[in-house]
Amino acid sequence: MIGAVTLEGLSKTFPGTGGPVLEDVNLSVDAGTCTALLGPSGAGKSTLLRAIAGLERPDTGRVLVGGRDMAGVRPERRGMAMVQQRPLLFPHLNVLDNVAFAGTVRGIPKRVARADAAGFLELVQLAGFGPRPVVALSGGQAQRVAIARALAARPAVLLLDEPFSALDPELRSVMHDLLAQLRRTLNPTILMVTHDRSEAAAVAERIALFSGGRMLQHDSVELMYSRPSSLEASRLMGGANEIAGTVRKGCHHSALGALRLPDDTTWQPGPGMLLVRQESIEVGPWDGPGLHATVSGLRALGPRRLVRLDAAGVLLRAEVPLGRALAEGDSVRLKIPTSALAVVDDPDTAHTFPGAETRPPITSQGRGTLATADN
Amino acid sequence: MALTLPPDSRTPLSWPVQPGNGLRASHGIARTLRILLAMALALWFALPLVPLALWAFADRWSFPAVLPQAWGWDGVRTALAQGAVPAFGHSLLLGLLVSAVATPLGVLAARALAYHRVPYAPVVNVLLFAPLALPAFVAALGLNVLLLRLQVPPFAGVVLLLSVYALPYTSYTMRVAYGAHDLAIEEEARLLGASPWQVTWRVQLPLLAPALARAAFLAFLVGWSDYVITVLVGGGTIVTVPVLVASAAAGTGNDATVALLSAAALLPPLVLLLGLGLFGRRPTGGRP
Repeated sequence: MIGAVTLEGLSKTFPGTGGPVLEDVNLSVDAGTCTALLGPSGAGKSTLLRAIAGLERPDTGRVLVGGRDMAGVRPERRGMAMVQQRPLLFPHLNVLDNVAFAGTVRGIPKRVARADAAGFLELVQLAGFGPRPVVALSGGQAQRVAIARALAARPAVLLLDEPFSALDPELRSVMHDLLAQLRRTLNPTILMVTHDRSEAAAVAERIALFSGGRMLQHDSVELMYSRPSSLEASRLMGGANEIAGTVRKGCHHSALGALRLPDDTTWQPGPGMLLVRQESIEVGPWDGPGLHATVSGLRALGPRRLVRLDAAGVLLRAEVPLGRALAEGDSVRLKIPTSALAVVDDPDTAHTFPGAETRPPITSQGRGTLATADN
Repeated sequence: MALTLPPDSRTPLSWPVQPGNGLRASHGIARTLRILLAMALALWFALPLVPLALWAFADRWSFPAVLPQAWGWDGVRTALAQGAVPAFGHSLLLGLLVSAVATPLGVLAARALAYHRVPYAPVVNVLLFAPLALPAFVAALGLNVLLLRLQVPPFAGVVLLLSVYALPYTSYTMRVAYGAHDLAIEEEARLLGASPWQVTWRVQLPLLAPALARAAFLAFLVGWSDYVITVLVGGGTIVTVPVLVASAAAGTGNDATVALLSAAALLPPLVLLLGLGLFGRRPTGGRP
């Protein structure tokens, strides 16, 4: 496929940075899909995007687009376009000529390029804005023009580097809708850098999670949340519950008791950290079924509340809607669905298990394999 | 020439512009004082031109008369007879050549200092600004011997030396411009399909055009107004407007000629300055 992007063993070190900014990154992105490169600041996401675009030369590794090695291919010949956090519109050109820029540098007559640009302005709902100077645009409008300008270059791969992070939440949501609409119309391969989990989940089908220059996991959005591959991945995805214990015969044994694990994965026996998303724990009344717990704290999270719970000496966190009458000291019952459970290696205890040297790591990626096989 | 300190290579050379900042607006007495000060400064600059303008067309003006007693064209005739036209031609050529040499050199130096790892950058900075600290006659006398030994023609020698003297102005002006220039815009242009050459012509040049015009204007002024280097290195063979003015001023009874030449010498830079003000702004790309 023309827009498929494959990264093989990509590494990059900048002088004086101490360690590699990118470390052996392997990633495969199908043509026409949207993948979010997610991670905290300094994880190497933007450097990766720049390496794909040809703006940085990797120390080792290859970038392949549509199976073609991009080594030595200049940025202007890679068939990519990038939209960054700042719109970076050309201040000496009006809106229309900004969008027509890619056409005119390709040698298309100005009149034709402008007519084409007007179509893209219409696509981003800015019809009639062509004659305006770029300084007369609001932040959201400028970013729309930047997107139109990038799309007018007919890129096989569209690179987005935190394009909406400077916009207010409402406008960001509008831009997410716009991106979805553009994908339906033009279907480019999209790689989007973001540090916002919600944004990644809102716009992308798959997430590649980065930390310290390494790619921790690349999976569908659902699996990234429900089956993190490591404790670090779970924490970066916002997971708040980690229960130390041991896996035996498909169950996780801890202070909470024996909890059956999803049977779509073969769980390796040994010490393991049980993970369960705070959104998946159901908090019910004391007289209902489930695990007994006591409310030890409450914190408002906008329309929801984060409830701290003491269950058999284990600290758990659960998210509940605002309307629920809960107070500190209340006794409640917890329901933890089996499908919401995952186990990963506990870095503190995994090495103590007999045969730890030869035992494969406990990983919750098994279901990912199943999901891929199903597809 | 005014002495300007070299910019620190670590200091950002652009500051955010915040139009309409209430803290900077002046009201009441402060506003009146500001206007009065501006008017006094304008008067300070314009005042010397009044006697020049009067003298230029005064055939006779003896003390204690307040205004010339006889008006006429003697000054113009004498100036033309003394070679004012070729002198203007030489000055113009000198200014343009110095500008043509010093502006690209300043651009290269500024770009290197702004975007690249220049070894010993602070030393390079100081060297670029050294001509401002070095008295012109010292450099001229020292280098004149070298230029003569190398058989460099006098006019080329003058252009060469004046270009070195113009370099601090062009490099500093361009350094400020590059400090404010966003390379990410150039990267964006590359990703949109522009070749490095197209990026230079279609993005970098339009964005830096006002700074280039300013740098070229300052370099032109160095060539246009020089006296010491032209006389010492030119060996008296190159008669420019400042040389002609100095020669006329050294004699007696040439007041009208000196005034006329001095006033006329203001015109080319003034025209360039007006042009710079009118056309040297960055295009804003359309109507609001």
